[in-house]
Parts: sequence; structure tokens; C-alpha cells
Amino acid sequence: MSRLADIEFTGHDACTVARLSGEIDQSNVGTLDETLTQAVTNQSHALVLDLTDVTYFDSSGIQLVYELRAKLQARGQGLRLVIPTSSSAYAALRLAGVARHVELYESEEEALNGAAE
Amino acid sequence: MTTEPQAPLRPPRGRIPRQGQVVLPSDTADIAVEQQVANLYRLGDPALSELPLEEFLEELLIRVREAVAADTVAILLYDAETQQLEARAAKGIEEEVERGVRLPLGHGFAGRIAAERVPIFIADVDHADILNPLLRKRGIRSLLGIPMIVEGNLIGVLHVGSLTPRTFDERDVAVLQFAAARAAPGIERARLSLELAHEHRVAVTLQRNLLPRQLSEVVGVSTAARYLPSSDEVGGDWYDVFELPQGNLGIAIGDVAGHGLRSAALMGQLRTALHAYAMEGHDPSRTLELLDRFIQETPEFAMATAAYGVLDPDTGTVRLASAGHLPPVVIGGGQARLVEVEPAAPLGAVLYRRQEAVEFELAAEEVLLLYTDGLVEVPHVPLDDTLEDLVALVAPATSAEEACQLAVGVLPLQRLRDDVALVAVRLDEIPEELRLRLPADAKVLAEFRRSLRRWLHARRADEATIAEVTIAANEACANAIEHAYSPGPAVFEVEAVERDGEVTIVVRDHGRWRQPRGTNRGRGLSIIEAAMDAV
Repeated sequence: MSRLADIEFTGHDACTVARLSGEIDQSNVGTLDETLTQAVTNQSHALVLDLTDVTYFDSSGIQLVYELRAKLQARGQGLRLVIPTSSSAYAALRLAGVARHVELYESEEEALNGAAE
Repeated sequence: MTTEPQAPLRPPRGRIPRQGQVVLPSDTADIAVEQQVANLYRLGDPALSELPLEEFLEELLIRVREAVAADTVAILLYDAETQQLEARAAKGIEEEVERGVRLPLGHGFAGRIAAERVPIFIADVDHADILNPLLRKRGIRSLLGIPMIVEGNLIGVLHVGSLTPRTFDERDVAVLQFAAARAAPGIERARLSLELAHEHRVAVTLQRNLLPRQLSEVVGVSTAARYLPSSDEVGGDWYDVFELPQGNLGIAIGDVAGHGLRSAALMGQLRTALHAYAMEGHDPSRTLELLDRFIQETPEFAMATAAYGVLDPDTGTVRLASAGHLPPVVIGGGQARLVEVEPAAPLGAVLYRRQEAVEFELAAEEVLLLYTDGLVEVPHVPLDDTLEDLVALVAPATSAEEACQLAVGVLPLQRLRDDVALVAVRLDEIPEELRLRLPADAKVLAEFRRSLRRWLHARRADEATIAEVTIAANEACANAIEHAYSPGPAVFEVEAVERDGEVTIVVRDHGRWRQPRGTNRGRGLSIIEAAMDAV
């Protein structure tokens, strides 16, 4: 059974960067949530979640993002979403009508430089 | 002939023998010259060589026993790997063979003969150290044994025994040696062919284990494959089919130069390397470039040919790269043709590679067949001719399995000169109306999306529409999975119909309606409403 989605963690000083690829749906969203939550150490300021290469994203993915944000905020940590306007994830956010309510970055670089403390 | 049951054992002449060593010159008076000649002739009978090994040994032993007038005779063969002697044939003491008696080198009567490589005579077994209880149990009193040696290699031991105390002398040794000289070459030949057969079996087993047990299944594609080892030795042919990220299918075929166990093992490495590089999702041309680099950095390799293609089941597009490999065949509608591909050099052949990939479309119900040269290379027949034959032979195939069956029909019935590997994939037909009945489990959603995408693509929807319809339909299915509830295993149904450019999708579950729980389900519904024209 192959995995539907792949996660690549890259190190960075202040943030944990997680690059997702593949598909996110109801079947794997729980495992992804657990893995991503555990990957953010206490030393991290924020989780940078890069969804550029995600080829399928729907309401379960949106739910994942909201839940991650809530959990991280409770720990005093931030969530920065890298969702280019050309991506499938963006299309899903738009269809759900929430695209303008979520802070999005076009690239990892922006996300790492961008947010003010 | 008679023995001398009551006469005392003759004293040694000349050097005092070691315990159990033959030194006695013969006294030929007891056996007439004619008989001796007759005995030797029977031992040297050329007709014996016509017999298969086991029968040959049996017949030889009968004649040996007559020639030395012994009661028992046995032949043990030496296994250099285990360093043991194994009883192979016997007369008068068949139990030795039946019990599968095995003697380590140096142990017991025969073991000592084998270790020291000298004939040994035991005048009275009661006073000697005989390991094998069978000999004593049989009532043997005296024994004579000689080593059998061919070109310096120990082949086995031949021994004779007498139930009454008796002196075996030099003449008897000479007779045994003559018989051993007769037997040894035949035994050696048989042993070599057994070794080869054994290695061949190991290689075939290895080869079969290194090839995929089960071909990967991807929605909308059916696959089949064959591997046939050659009659002589197993080669380095392989095939592979595997799922790639994003639901594409990787198809590979290859041929490592060389034969036997080593080639099979190298083939395993190459297959694994190709699979690993392929999973990175590169274009097939890049994958083969990486594989080429791998070969060149692995000292054991000589060369290999390979072809690797990526099939997108949604669109039927195939991108294929070939490194010195024969062109694949596309079969459909009762016709078949070779794919036009310019093969680059075989892997490992040139220092730098210029690898290109060719792109073509596989239509629904068409079969793509890849094969190795063992299928089509026939001595003295031009390759173009055999390729033409192959194409004609497989043209009627309507399934991947049938394509493989028809293809092997081009091979001769008896000897296979070179091993053959085949792999075929078929793009399944796409129905006019999509009807699916799926278990209510979130795991089926990915497969569902693929089926829907394929169907939408066949209905000529554009990419943007496909994406939106898919997400909406998926949301509806996710709802159904959540709500589906029944006494037995829960299922849900999907129907998709297209008329005049309008797509209607119905998702049906048999559960009870519940209010959407949580904000997520609400979002799901919003998505459906936003994506579709009507809900």
C-alpha cells in the first residue's frame, strides 16, 4: 500500500518546515495531523507548511489546517501556510469560501522571512 | 572363483605393512589366466558406457564382485562441499545405500582410504576400527578398498568384502583399480552435470524471487508478465511494473549481460535501483540516465539494455526511454505495430549518455508489450523478420494476458537459447456511464477519484472542470461514507452520466440522514455548492 501523501522536513533555525506532496483526503488527514504536530519542537517559533506540491486538497485538508493552527497557537507557536494561488490547495480554499480569511504565502522563502514576531 | 576359507593369512613379504595396508604381491595361481582375461574384459566392456550412471554403477559392481570373487562390493562417492563420502551403489550390502550412509573424510574404513588416498586391506574386521556397523552386522570379515581418483581429484571409494577371512592381494587391488578407472570418468561427468543442474536451480529460484511477485495494480490498467529461463542457464532478464506518485504507472524491462547466478543477482540490484530512481518522478529519460550512472559506478557490471516507460492512466499518455533495447509493441483493434523509438546506447556502454524519451498515446483497450531479445533473436534469421513475426502473432490480443500468451508462441518448443522476459499493460475501457459500488471506507476515495478523472477525461472535460467536479464528488462521497449505515458491510454508490456537455453525478448511501457534524462538513457542502451548477 503506497502512501497517498509524502512529507519532507527541512531544517531551519527558528521554524520547522514541512513540505507536503501528493494527496490529502479523509483517509490520511489524521496521520498527517499527528505527524506534523509531533514534528514541531518546543524550540520552534512556527510551523511552515508548504502545500505547493499537494495535488489533491479538500475540506478535510482545510480542517487539518485549522486544527493545526489552533493547537500551535495554544503552545504559543505560529502556522505559516505556503499555498501559491496556482495550487490545488488554493482552489479548494477558494471553493470553500475561506481563501481570503487565511494568511497565505506564495513561497517558503517568503514564509520564512515574512511573519513578524 | 573360490576363496581360501581355512588357509591362514600369508605373512607379509618385504616391508612390514602398516595396520590395514595392502602390500602383498599376488599369487595368481588360484585363478586361471583365461578367467582373469575374461574378468578384465567384462570390466572393460565398452557397452557399459552406454548406460546411465546408476545402472552403469550397478552393472560394474556385479562384474567387480565376480572378478575378485568377493561377497560384497560397494562404491561411495565423494562430495567435496561437505567433505563426506556417500554410499551410491552396493551389492551384497545394499543397506549401506538404502540407509544413505555418509562418512566424513578420515572416519572409518572408507573415510580413511579417501583421506589418505591409498588402498587399505583389513584382514579381520573384528580387530580393526570399523565405524560402519552395517559392515560388521553383515558379517563381513575381510575388506579391501581403494580410492578413486580422476586428474588428481578424489571421486570416491570402491571396496569389496568377504564373509570369511581372506587375504585380498595386489591382483585384487589391480582389478579394483581397473574398475575404478572405468567408473571414474563417468561418475565425474555425472557429478558435474548434477552440480550445474543444482546451480541452475538456485539461479532460477533467485531469479524468480528477484522478480516482482505481484504486479502493481492501478485503477484503469491491467497487467501481465512472463519470465522464462533458458534451457542452459538463467540470464539477467527482468521486468517490473509499479505505481508512481500521482497514480502513474512505471513499466520496465531489462537485460543484464551474462548468465547464471551472478547475473541473476546483478539483475536484482538493477531492478531495485531503477525502481528507486523512478519513484522520484523524473522523466523516463532522466531515470535511465541515473541508472546508467549507477551501473558505471558499480564495478561488477558489464552492460545492460533497458526500456522504461511512464503511463498516465487518466490520459493514456506514455513517455518511454530506451537504452539499447528493442522497440515495444502496441496492440489494438486486431492490429499491432512497433513503437518508433531511437534507442540510446546500452547502459554502461558509453561514458556520457544522451538519453531521449518518446511520447505516444495508448488508447483505451490497447495493450503495450515490452520484451527482451531472447524472444526474437534466432541464429541466422534477420531480426527484422522475427520482429515482423512477433507483431503478426500478437495482433489479435485483446488483453495483457493474451498478449503474453501469444508472444511466447514465437518461441521454439524445445530448447530456449536465451532467457525471456515479457510485460504487458492494457488501458481498460472506460464505460459510457460510470457506475461504482464501493465500501464505505475513506481509503477508497483515492481510487474513486482516479476512476472519475479517467471518465471525465474520456468525456473531454478540461483540466479545471475535472478538478472541480472531482473535489465536489469526493466531498459527496466522504459524506456518504460518514453516513452510510447498514446491518452488513456498508457500501455507497456513485453514478456519473454525461449528456450534451452536462455531467450529472449521483452519490447514494443507504444510511440515515444526520445533520452535518462540525464545521468541516459544512465546508464540504459549501465546496460542492461552489463547484457544481446544481446540487
